[in-house]
Amino acid sequence: MLHRSWRRAATAAVAALLAATSIAACSDDPSDAKDLSENRAGAMADYGIGKQFKASEPVSFSILYNNHPNYPLRDDWLFWKELKSRANVTLTPVAVPLSDYEQKRSLLIGAGDAPLIIPKTYPAQEDAYVSSGAILPVSDYLDLMPNLQDKISKWNLKPEIDGRRQEDGKFYLLPGLHEKPWQDYSVAIRTDILDELNLTVPKTWDELYTVLKAMKAKYPDVYPFSDRWSKPNPAGNLLNLLAVSYGLQGAGWNFQHTSWDANAKKFVYTGATEQYKQMLQYLNKLVSEKLLDPESFTQTDDQARQKLANGKSFVISANAQAVVNDYRPDLAKTNPKATISKIPLPIGPAGEVNPASRLENGVMISSKARESKNFVAMMQFIDWLWYSDAGQEFAKWGVEGTTFVRDAAGKPKLAPDVNVIGLNPKAPKHLQKDFGFYNGVFAYGGKPELVQGFFAPEEQEFQKVLNARPPVAVPPPHPLNDEEREQASLWETPLKDAVYQATLQFALGQRNLSEWDAYVAELKGKNMDAYLTMVNKAYDRYQKDHG
Amino acid sequence: MVTVDATDTATGSGLPTPARPRGIRPSRGYRVFQACNAIVLTIVVVVTLYPFVNVVARSLSDEQYIIGGKVNLVPLGFNLDTYRLVLNDSLFWTNYRNTLFYTVVATAISIVLTTCYAYVLSKKHLRGRTALIGIAVFTMFFTGGLIPNYVLVTSLGMKNTVWAIAVPNAINVFNLLVMKAFFESLPTDLEEAAAVDGLNTYGILLRIVLPLSKAIVATMVLFYAVAFWNSWFAAFLYMDQQELWPVTVYLRNLIAGATGAENVGVIAEADEVQADATIKAVTIVLTTLPILAVYPFVQRYFVRGVMLGAVKG
Amino acid sequence: MTSETLRPPPPAPPGVPAEATVPAPRAPRRRRTWRQALRRDWQLYSLAVLPLLFFLVFRYLPMIGNVIAFRRFKPGGSIFGEYWVGLRYFRMFLTDPTFWDVFTNTLVLGTLTLLFCFPLPIVLALLLNEVRARRLRRFVQSVSYLPHFLSIVIVAAMVMQLTSVDGTVNQIVQATGGDAVPFLQRAEWFRTIYVSSEVWQTVGWGTILYLAALTTVDDDLYEAARIDGANRWRQTWHVTLPGIRPTMVTLLILNIGNFMAVGFEKILLLYNPLTYPTADVLSTYLFRMGFGSSNFSYAAAIGLFEAVIGLTLVLTANLIARRTVGTSLW
Repeated sequence: MLHRSWRRAATAAVAALLAATSIAACSDDPSDAKDLSENRAGAMADYGIGKQFKASEPVSFSILYNNHPNYPLRDDWLFWKELKSRANVTLTPVAVPLSDYEQKRSLLIGAGDAPLIIPKTYPAQEDAYVSSGAILPVSDYLDLMPNLQDKISKWNLKPEIDGRRQEDGKFYLLPGLHEKPWQDYSVAIRTDILDELNLTVPKTWDELYTVLKAMKAKYPDVYPFSDRWSKPNPAGNLLNLLAVSYGLQGAGWNFQHTSWDANAKKFVYTGATEQYKQMLQYLNKLVSEKLLDPESFTQTDDQARQKLANGKSFVISANAQAVVNDYRPDLAKTNPKATISKIPLPIGPAGEVNPASRLENGVMISSKARESKNFVAMMQFIDWLWYSDAGQEFAKWGVEGTTFVRDAAGKPKLAPDVNVIGLNPKAPKHLQKDFGFYNGVFAYGGKPELVQGFFAPEEQEFQKVLNARPPVAVPPPHPLNDEEREQASLWETPLKDAVYQATLQFALGQRNLSEWDAYVAELKGKNMDAYLTMVNKAYDRYQKDHG
Repeated sequence: MVTVDATDTATGSGLPTPARPRGIRPSRGYRVFQACNAIVLTIVVVVTLYPFVNVVARSLSDEQYIIGGKVNLVPLGFNLDTYRLVLNDSLFWTNYRNTLFYTVVATAISIVLTTCYAYVLSKKHLRGRTALIGIAVFTMFFTGGLIPNYVLVTSLGMKNTVWAIAVPNAINVFNLLVMKAFFESLPTDLEEAAAVDGLNTYGILLRIVLPLSKAIVATMVLFYAVAFWNSWFAAFLYMDQQELWPVTVYLRNLIAGATGAENVGVIAEADEVQADATIKAVTIVLTTLPILAVYPFVQRYFVRGVMLGAVKG
Repeated sequence: MTSETLRPPPPAPPGVPAEATVPAPRAPRRRRTWRQALRRDWQLYSLAVLPLLFFLVFRYLPMIGNVIAFRRFKPGGSIFGEYWVGLRYFRMFLTDPTFWDVFTNTLVLGTLTLLFCFPLPIVLALLLNEVRARRLRRFVQSVSYLPHFLSIVIVAAMVMQLTSVDGTVNQIVQATGGDAVPFLQRAEWFRTIYVSSEVWQTVGWGTILYLAALTTVDDDLYEAARIDGANRWRQTWHVTLPGIRPTMVTLLILNIGNFMAVGFEKILLLYNPLTYPTADVLSTYLFRMGFGSSNFSYAAAIGLFEAVIGLTLVLTANLIARRTVGTSLW
């Protein structure tokens, strides 16, 4: 009896589950994709560049919301009120803690329960969802987004956008766009020690080595360079900075299996290149001469900060916020005479490059949105808020006269009673916490003036130096198909583990660099060649089909 | 037979004192053992207490001393500013209330269901008992994936309610089997006598078995309450509004958000989390203390020999 | 309850294993039919209805989703997968050499954890039981279970602080004339570090169940033992330990079944590529494969594999326990 009822319950439940999750198939028929006559409710007939989007009837869209602990979601934010009055749009957020945003996004999409607008998606994160049809191929609807199209062509972003195209030639993510690359990460140096030793700010990695050597000579008991950002990827920032300076695609927390070899016109395996070997030789030199703290690769950020604060190290990885929020306040309390600054990214054998990508995190659209009668209005709204100059300024600066004012030249400036990232520390109100602007979900990218709006003069100087350097070349598209991606995911982890383990062993001197060939052979044993063949095949295929 | 160990049962609470005939001096070896025992337990206390004192000291210290790595057992730069800061956050209080509410409801449901089933399983004569145990044990190892569970809870309309937290985790098989083992070790003749007196099964469970099982019920309350108090995942999955989150999700967002991001290198400028060390410490203290306070209440049920006296007396 | 309570002789000597107890008077001599059983025990069965419903709906129903171990699952597609692929995902991990490495690590770490974390709570509970000063005993008890409440993030940070080159452990090493060791960069040290921190975290909490079990040991048995001239040690050996044996065996069997579930989060925070050779376990390997975001099928296949191992272990342990000490889960 028990058995039978269990089976009946199971059958019923399966049926219920299936019904609950069935997603209408997304048709590939282009004529169907273009027939939007049923989906124009609330849309503007004459929407275009420079136009304020305003829905012709009140509309409401669900949105996945990345809830930041520093400015938790509030219903009474001016941001929501202004969206209502300016665009006639109400957003209904599904709040997800920032700490586990990606997991919840994956679950909601997997369960067919995702909101229509899915922001905070970094390039390549959309790949996994393409083949099931759960995500809208947004490239089919670019004509609804004039501002986006305009920015892509005006800022020459075609190579970057092409890099996001899938095997079918479409792209599925509306990425954030930067006119200029914005490289935030570099290393910071105790400038008072530089002065004390009569040294200048090092411009290249080799000069940095000389500086570290001089520091060591004066202070033999310290490791002059003790790095942070080693969890979960050891030396995540340092390895990446070095890799791009040696002309590779990336390493560390920006681990890239392949790098594009422009001369040979094919992809090579980053961790097996000659450049990677040289970079390890450099690191090994720093460690063996006791210039780089071996614990750099395993310690926590707090440990690294403590060493810097207590004068046990003078150099550390940095971005603009870390200098202002961590290092300077720490040092001010332990050693008021100390000064520290972020130095322009040291130059390596690859010469002057600005390695930052011009694509930011962006927005995915659920395929379900396509069936909504407000679909066109939604795309226009997204185009206005995320891609128009006015929308971007609104999301970042807020409302003129309330949260910001303009100077004589028309440049926006924070209102005196509004604070953000410590610019008006005495102000009673906070741009993010109290008004909901400069919110990571809505405000990113854009023109350099906008991106650098809140930067201190020091950081603007830093950006000026880096913007003078040519942007790094974008590798050509090489989208894998569904089966290949599954195969790749099984090869990639053992390969990455092997590269990472050897990287640390070589750097720390636990393994001698004369064993390099043996290491490359190990990689081959872990399907490196098959992996490269697959990637290069995908490149050829894309060239043939869409090139 | 008269109980010799009068002192302990009379005082009623605390652990069983090892019975020792009065007037007989303990042997020398036993005294040496007692001394060693005291030393071992002192070490246990020191080693386990240190991190807590440290966290409390941090929560009361000025940030600068923490960064300097100077705060150990005594707060330096004593101040309550951070407590004031956290306690002034209305979201913290909302989430705190949620945690209390969820814990109470979920623990109540769990105790009822677990006790019922454990009692049934402890009856050796029951037909189908092995199958009933097997049904439970099997689920310790074979579970449904995340997505099916999510779809189930959503289609039952439990999302954004306390039921999404309480019901899907109502029975922990580990606790169930421990409780069953306890029930099995209870004497059967008392129940039989009660049955002869005309009590039905429900009456026996409520009036005879449960009074004998205070120790295990208290332990189960502790286990379930602590587990629900500390749990964050169910709430994270099923609560779409931050006003519904328990304080664990609040805390996790504060701490793990700063340390757990896989791609720190590419996160956007507005997204960086910079939680001060003191805020972390304060939140830990505030969320841990209440559940720590439960234990003393549980402890009083750990009295040996309580069962027979309770029935006959 | 008073001190003058008269007590009947203990109904079943706790020393006698539960399973071997003489059948209760009303226990069946031969198997009853279902109809008879239902008529006689319907009240008992009725107590099981709600729990059974719980298991069926919230445990067994979602298990249907495990078919994706045999089907191709696409995130956002049907939750039951798109098409059959047979044993493809099982073949995938069974032929992956890294899988076997991490599987071995999982077994080793699980075994070590079991070896240390199972017996130590019993020892501590017995030691506590011997403390005569009531205040001290309650204090020690309350303190020892504190680590259970610390979040893994904090425990991991403490471990890293302690084992760093200028940390406490190395200060002791250097004071005794040794050289500082970067423990966390040495694969051979990882197991020691992990198991020690596990012991520290779980030992106090683990005593709670034994302390509860100790309440069922009847004083009369101690009395009888004393009259026979047994000293404390022999009382512990012949009365206390047999008294808590059902709890011990239950916990041992459950721990054996669970020992593949080593602490994912802690390992994730403590390991690094240099210690992968000893530290990398199944869950961390799967995590790095990014299964959370894409390959649910692969994860489901490994999950089934683990479940079969766990179930086999529990059944075996249960059988051995029944044959040797006569106590078992069922």
